[in-house]
Amino acid sequence: MAYSDKVVDHFNNPRNMGSFKKDEDGIGTGMVGAPECGDVMKLQIKVQNDTIVDAKFKTFGCGSAIASSSLATEWLKGKTIEEAQQIKNTDIVQELNLPPVKIHCSVLAEDAIKAALADYQKKADGEASGTK
Amino acid sequence: MDHYTPESPQPRGLQMARSMCWHCQSAVTGEYFCERCVKVQPVSKETDHFTCLGFPRRLTLDPKKLEAKFYELSRTFHPDFYQTKSPAEQTISLGNAAVLNTAYRTLRDPIQRAEYLLALETGSVKDIRTSPPAELFEEILELQDTLEEFRSSDRDSQEGRELRAVLETEQRGLEQRRQEMEAQLHQLFTDWDQLQDRGEATSPAREERDRLLKHMRDLLSNRTYVTSIVNDLAATIA
Repeated sequence: MAYSDKVVDHFNNPRNMGSFKKDEDGIGTGMVGAPECGDVMKLQIKVQNDTIVDAKFKTFGCGSAIASSSLATEWLKGKTIEEAQQIKNTDIVQELNLPPVKIHCSVLAEDAIKAALADYQKKADGEASGTK
Repeated sequence: MDHYTPESPQPRGLQMARSMCWHCQSAVTGEYFCERCVKVQPVSKETDHFTCLGFPRRLTLDPKKLEAKFYELSRTFHPDFYQTKSPAEQTISLGNAAVLNTAYRTLRDPIQRAEYLLALETGSVKDIRTSPPAELFEEILELQDTLEEFRSSDRDSQEGRELRAVLETEQRGLEQRRQEMEAQLHQLFTDWDQLQDRGEATSPAREERDRLLKHMRDLLSNRTYVTSIVNDLAATIA
């Protein structure tokens, strides 16, 4: 089974690979794994005024997992928190033309987005109530 | 299309339900053959692998007994012995042989057996919510950076040799941890079987059951992550 051109492109030229310091202001970190295949994904967002100004990822896994997280960071940049919540794994499947056996990679990317947003929210709420 | 989730297995009661003999319509009471007309009966695809091989749902199975039972049933269902029978019987023997092979392949490996039992007991893997092991993940991702450095380095250079030494140490450490995880798993397998053998329906027993399932789930998952990075390490520095 061949990977689609888009997957190959993201795999060869991953966008936004890297990481932010976790404890910096406005950073949300999502760390997820797929126990079925051993893939690990870390996705981080940098938020200013409710808008995601930057995103980074690190993924240990197959080409589809790397492409899914790379694409996710591209999509996240410039979105508001609310808009980012709307990203669905099915959007990723469609964009990357993932075959059925690789759908779990897109689910992992969606989980990573959700985890990063939740982590950011948790930190923001903590700061607002002065418990940090 | 929504999230992909594997189909959850049928409730146990349904799997054990016996239908009528496809040939003589009598109620089938024999295990694999009709007691009245002696025709081979299809093993339902819904039958779980333990039932298929005639073993209880336990995690510490004697591999020799499992193998012996598999060979016995293989002979029973082997399509070669059905060449002179009716097309219906030939189809059934072929189907049964396939179901049997899948069951044996899954149950003979202790790790696969445990994964399978967990799926039977809890539905899909994702139904047991566990928090991801953040430290292990960080470690894996960091290791990956080192691997990347090694891949782009000149292997005969001082830097390449040093990186290789670092990676080899990491690999040994991770393999050691995997062995420890497997030892822990085998202890849990024994605990699980003992709990099942006691067959209590008390609430402490249920709590113990859930605790064991969750602990096994965690260890099996972490073992998969470690195996995955160890394989990558081994392939890269080989």
